[in-house]
Amino acid sequence: MKSRIKLLLAALSLLIAGTAHAAIEVFACSPEWGALTGEIAGNRAAVFVATTALQDIHRIQARPSLIARARTAALVVCTGADLEVGWMSMVQSQSGNDRIQLGKPGFLEVANFVPRIDIAGSVDRALGDVHPLGNPHIQFGPRQIQLAAEELTRRLVRIDPAGEGEYRARLADFTSRWSAATQRWLQLGAPLKGVTVIQHHKNFSYLFDFLGMRQVGSLEPKPGVEPTSAHLSELAEQQKIEPARLIVRASYQSPSASDWLAQRIKVPAIMLPATVGGSEGAKDLFSLYDDCIRRLLAAASG
Amino acid sequence: MRHPFMAAALAAAWAATGPAAAQTAELDQIRKDIQELRNSYESRIKALEDKLKDAEAAARTAQEAAARAETSATEAQSAAARGEAPTAPGGMTQQSSKSAFNPAISLILNGTWGRFGDDPSTRITGFAPSGGEVIPGRGGSLGESELFLSANIDPYFRGALLAALTPENTVEVEEAFFETLALGQGFTAKGGRFFSGVGYFNQVHPHAWDFADPSLVQNAFLGRNYGDDGAQLRWVAPLPVLVQFGVELGKGREFPGAGEVERNRNGAESQVFFANVGGDIGVSSAYQVGASHLRQRTATDGSAFLDYDDITGTSNLFQGRQRIDGLNFVYKWSPDGNPKYRNFKFVTEWFQRRYDGDFTFDTTGVAATDAMNAKQSGWYAQAIYQFMPYWRVGGRYDRLSHGNVGLNTNAANLTPPDFDPTRYSVMLDWNPSEYSRIRLQYNRDRSRQDLASGETITDNQLFLQYIFSLGAHGAHRF
Repeated sequence: MKSRIKLLLAALSLLIAGTAHAAIEVFACSPEWGALTGEIAGNRAAVFVATTALQDIHRIQARPSLIARARTAALVVCTGADLEVGWMSMVQSQSGNDRIQLGKPGFLEVANFVPRIDIAGSVDRALGDVHPLGNPHIQFGPRQIQLAAEELTRRLVRIDPAGEGEYRARLADFTSRWSAATQRWLQLGAPLKGVTVIQHHKNFSYLFDFLGMRQVGSLEPKPGVEPTSAHLSELAEQQKIEPARLIVRASYQSPSASDWLAQRIKVPAIMLPATVGGSEGAKDLFSLYDDCIRRLLAAASG
Repeated sequence: MRHPFMAAALAAAWAATGPAAAQTAELDQIRKDIQELRNSYESRIKALEDKLKDAEAAARTAQEAAARAETSATEAQSAAARGEAPTAPGGMTQQSSKSAFNPAISLILNGTWGRFGDDPSTRITGFAPSGGEVIPGRGGSLGESELFLSANIDPYFRGALLAALTPENTVEVEEAFFETLALGQGFTAKGGRFFSGVGYFNQVHPHAWDFADPSLVQNAFLGRNYGDDGAQLRWVAPLPVLVQFGVELGKGREFPGAGEVERNRNGAESQVFFANVGGDIGVSSAYQVGASHLRQRTATDGSAFLDYDDITGTSNLFQGRQRIDGLNFVYKWSPDGNPKYRNFKFVTEWFQRRYDGDFTFDTTGVAATDAMNAKQSGWYAQAIYQFMPYWRVGGRYDRLSHGNVGLNTNAANLTPPDFDPTRYSVMLDWNPSEYSRIRLQYNRDRSRQDLASGETITDNQLFLQYIFSLGAHGAHRF
């Protein structure tokens, strides 16, 4: 009997010890931030990823599961720049979690800490779903990812000071691997320099800028507005003046518009993973870039 | 004279061309050096340019950040409140301007063109009117224009106002509340006037409705959006699925609490309890189940029970307790959880309303008072399917059950009709963007009886509706 009680006590103390050392809960708005948190925090964080690469992050709803996960999160990592404007504020206000409210270290909007492109000079809804704070698809800027990693590390250290050493060591390791990979991508992507491309939505502008590719149009007549036949015909006409060599869509976008235009103007149309998990190859941030560049190279040389 | 000069010139020329091989190598070296220098400068210039670009972008970022009240201003403010440096890139201090703190403003414009076979103001037969019914008018009619303002007040509170500008040129305060941001542990408190957590659709703002009119049961029991002046406390359990409890205390400002009589009492006469459970089913589906209970006591002077059957034309009074129990279920599906191209939504709600108290028939005439015990219920189910981008189609079925209305001796004065109202609705809407919606709806309404003959009226109703949202992009509830 006594031994049983002892055993029970031991089990209980183990349980308590287990919860005391439990990983901090991180709510990542999208897979790239989940992957980045994994790079920096390793096993110190239990990451919940709210969306997938097959979902249009502009159109997510404040589902009950998101509110539940946000309730227990110590850190929320989102893109910001209004990308999650349709749902994140609702998740925050419903969660009852003071740690992840605006202005707290537990709410990180990465875009606030990185340079952004396509910042609209004038905004009006007649121009479509423009982002007044710039293009929010920053996961395809290597420099943006590096800056994000640094800010994420600062936040993790503030939230979980006990892990500072590990976070800093992991950041240093990530930084060296990332800068080496960045060099490699520049070399790998060298043949893509100057290649003209039409993309569905401006998902890959940062990547095209990085590789020196030239965007000559979008399938969407206006940001966030689905392609129309009139606009696609215009793009086909434009091909005579400024020919595009590639048409690119993201993993969550319907192929119908890009396939239609591809047939019409006789250039390859390809799908690129919108983020980590968008293709077989894109398993983490590194392979996301590898996969995208490989797909672009294959299409451009073909 | 000439020759020595020539010789010197030749010598000089020889001297110049003599070590030609050595010189070529040197020149190559110089060229190489220049090239290297150029390369290194180019890369350094490129690096400097990149730096400049980054700095410019960072400056721009800082500027915008300052111009945006919702993020950086609050961030900086709350950081300052905690005695920390602002977290702007490069440690830049953030500028501020008065307009940066303006609340988010959105304005809803809506209007309806309606065609009714029967007079739309005839009430649902056999159910005490909730007083807050929404019935679009005949012909062209402007709906209520909603003006919504919201902002964080400080790091601890958020505030919001929803004002309705009615077509009758009045302004109604629909919601005006504060909500806590910093309670933590899953708790959120709300105070002021707000839409109650009873049921599911009750909290959905009219511009986000899937049909031009509310369900019959919502109209009959709660009115458009039942709200109260009071306080709400919600708690979310720390679980991977949503488990939420809420309680509200209010003064019972609106029907069913107050009816036509203005309440003049201390204390909380109205209480609401609600619970929601919700989660995901795989990656494509999400659900939420809810239960709620609303209980109220009428004011001591009773609650006007105007013209219960719409026939006798008498003024009646009810005094006692009213309870409304509700159950609701919401299910949403989209392929891979991406609602962009196709999505499906199913909602069903059931309510039961009970009265226990005294009923006075014809307050101005015979004034016969006796006990009243009534139990009535109603439900609806609706399904909405977006079959391609911008286009949604939907159907809804409504049914009310007249249940038991025990009037005791007053049964001699008033006979509750033996009739269950029903209605079928179908709608098609076109949403060219997130900010605009144009809807066509058809109702086959059998919710009313002809007062003289007692026969059910089958009313074919047609609506053409527009809803436009201007300004800030609001976040919607599930």
